[in-house]
Amino acid sequence: MLARVFEEHGLATTSISLVREHTEKVKPPRALFVPFPFGHPLGEANDPELQTRVMGAAFALLERETGPVLEDYPEDVYAGQNINLAQANSVPRPDVSDDVAFEVTRLRPYYEQWVSANAGRTAVGVTGVEQRRFRGLVRLLEAYAEGREIEQRRAIAPVRALGSGRPQGVLPGGTPAAKAGRFVPGIERVVVERDPKLDAIAFGIAR
Amino acid sequence: MLNDSAPFTPLRKALSESRLALVTTAGIHLRGDTPFAGGDQSFRAIPTDTPPSDIVQSHASIGFDRTAFQRDINVVFPLDRAREFVARSEIGSLSRTCFSFMGAQRPPYDRLLQETGPEVARRLRTEGVDVVFLTGT
Repeated sequence: MLARVFEEHGLATTSISLVREHTEKVKPPRALFVPFPFGHPLGEANDPELQTRVMGAAFALLERETGPVLEDYPEDVYAGQNINLAQANSVPRPDVSDDVAFEVTRLRPYYEQWVSANAGRTAVGVTGVEQRRFRGLVRLLEAYAEGREIEQRRAIAPVRALGSGRPQGVLPGGTPAAKAGRFVPGIERVVVERDPKLDAIAFGIAR
Repeated sequence: MLNDSAPFTPLRKALSESRLALVTTAGIHLRGDTPFAGGDQSFRAIPTDTPPSDIVQSHASIGFDRTAFQRDINVVFPLDRAREFVARSEIGSLSRTCFSFMGAQRPPYDRLLQETGPEVARRLRTEGVDVVFLTGT
């Protein structure tokens, strides 16, 4: 859709398509259909050679005289591999009874190691809530999920923030930080059942 | 959206003499910029020389794996790769500014098609851009 707007303004475009059917309907001028999952238009993280090949194939479409052009990226990137990318609904839920708020705190040193090893990349802070407030926010959410009284106005902004700012991490022993993940759907269910207006909160948490 | 025809601007010069801009619908922006909300048809400007640690993603959909972007922005927004294409003289130059929108839109697309999309197109033309490389999530 954006491609069409740009072409109308005299810009030549080439794009990556992850959903062939959608691209066939929308008909952008030049699109390279790739076999990669959502979140991976250029193939794989930290694989500059693959990313470069994909870009090269997309740029090659610019040599065509007329459009629309929809081509398949020719390389069989996953030949023989068992692809097992985690999507939100496929991560198994361990049976744990630990404290979610404490898990958030326990993740902190591993999170900080990750950040310093990865040139400062972090999703924490997108919503402006400081990390030191995370444990308190989780307690607030727990209270809400269990039907205890909380001050609603206080809840809304921090609740959205927790969903976006939760650090990604792996605890020692390789167990993903699953307790927070298990806890989040509990909040979602409670909010939707009790008050449809707070759908926005559940959405924000799920983020 | 079902289209019967496609507007088409041919690239009249070699890619090695062209200026490239990256535009993505991955819902990314500078740290500290306003996050995207669901149904948000606005855009964010991202200077091409922004360090990766200052680019975050606030795309409102929960349906895709974001960890690849966290590990390497180039899998979604290939700034480093684009610079390498320029270094190898396969692309002439990069724009000063790149842009991000949010994907997963539902109709009506009025603001995108009539306001924000054309505004970005105008800014890109002003920067002398010839080619736009578009990526989604």
